[in-house]
Amino acid sequence: MTKYNKYLFLFVSALCILGWEACTQDRQPCLTPKIASLNIKSVRITSRIDTTPIDTALPAAFFVAMTAKGDKGVIYPPQSAFTISLSSVTDSCQWAVTADTAAGNKYDTLTFYYKRQLQFISNACGFAYFYDLSKVNTTHNFIDSLRVTNTSVTNNVNTNHLQVFIHPNFP
Amino acid sequence: MLIQTIYRYLYILIFLSGLTMGTAGHVFAQATDTTATDTTDNEPAKKKIQAGGHQLCLGVDILHPVMNQYTSNRTSYEFEVHYFLKNEFYGVAEGGWGGSTVNYPDLQYNTTNDFVRLGFNKSILTRENPNDWDMMFMGMRLAYTTVRRSAGTYTVIDSLWGSSSGSSSAKNFGALWAELTGGMRVELVKGLMAGWNLRGKFMLNGRFFKDLAPLNIAGYGRGDKNTAFDFNVYVSYAIRWRKAQTPPAKKSGTSDGASPQAKTGRVSSDKPSKVSDTSKSQK
Repeated sequence: MTKYNKYLFLFVSALCILGWEACTQDRQPCLTPKIASLNIKSVRITSRIDTTPIDTALPAAFFVAMTAKGDKGVIYPPQSAFTISLSSVTDSCQWAVTADTAAGNKYDTLTFYYKRQLQFISNACGFAYFYDLSKVNTTHNFIDSLRVTNTSVTNNVNTNHLQVFIHPNFP
Repeated sequence: MLIQTIYRYLYILIFLSGLTMGTAGHVFAQATDTTATDTTDNEPAKKKIQAGGHQLCLGVDILHPVMNQYTSNRTSYEFEVHYFLKNEFYGVAEGGWGGSTVNYPDLQYNTTNDFVRLGFNKSILTRENPNDWDMMFMGMRLAYTTVRRSAGTYTVIDSLWGSSSGSSSAKNFGALWAELTGGMRVELVKGLMAGWNLRGKFMLNGRFFKDLAPLNIAGYGRGDKNTAFDFNVYVSYAIRWRKAQTPPAKKSGTSDGASPQAKTGRVSSDKPSKVSDTSKSQK
């Protein structure tokens, strides 16, 4: 091998060592969601003839998680898509929902029953729970009915799991 | 993350550059040979230079032991043995051991493993002389390891509903992967060689690591990835010996050690035997 190639060899070696060292970190950052999200669509059927559900925005929806340590809620701007999470410490959980917190509407309660599945995501993210929905119950103040469209609740944020049909008489 | 991506593509670029350089050199050498044949019909074609003997090379990876000092959660030690076969092919056996210790707030376990890789290297540099053992090479490996993972403890952190903890039982896994590798070796002083390997690794049975993938598999890399890149810097010692010389056939004499052909040649001295014809043409 020529002298030129030997210098090239040393140069490439040094470059690769630097690169390798840069890629070596104690813990990689977690780039995937760690909490399984249950995605809800609020819909309405506008006529008895056409039964196609139409997305319906709720004016100021308020979702409240009824946890063992108290109620914790989040207010959404006007929209028809909502994301909530399920409890990883029990096999059922409850959320209270109102369509317009400003107008003082009554709350409906969504009760979720499911099986938990422990899932290893990666060393960067650790473990998470995924869920297999068994049943969803609701009260009927402004919610007319429910339809479970997908029972598998994972960290895939693009899957729709539940359609909430708003009562036809709700303004 | 961006830096990692840049370096990953930089690796690939360097690897491809190496291949291109090596291939270009090989093609250039061939082209030179062809030109020589075309223009000087009377001269014999330039012969490809063959190795001047055998070589067994024992090497140690010096990069990973250094890196072990800078990473608190993984260790890896590697060595290699390669033996010159023929036509610039080298049979390669590599091995090593190591492990990882995971002690994160939400995940704790440790692993150990030892591994073996078998495969070959093909040098793509043309020799300058029979004793030129410098090489730029490409190669393939098939590797296997048994990973021993301790019982693990984990915590699923959930700020809304509350966190939960649990444990995962100890387990042993077998891991099989294939590698494409390229690199260089140069002789620094007589018998002492140094060089590097760049490796692309492809896990063949990654589904076994779905429940709790090892942070680091010595010889492979991150256990939760189906592809991995790695880099080694080797210092090797080459043991060389000459090819066994066949003693020239004796044309006369009556010693018992004479070969049957030689005896035949001696008996029918009027007609030259095939052996004597061959020896003349060699001269």
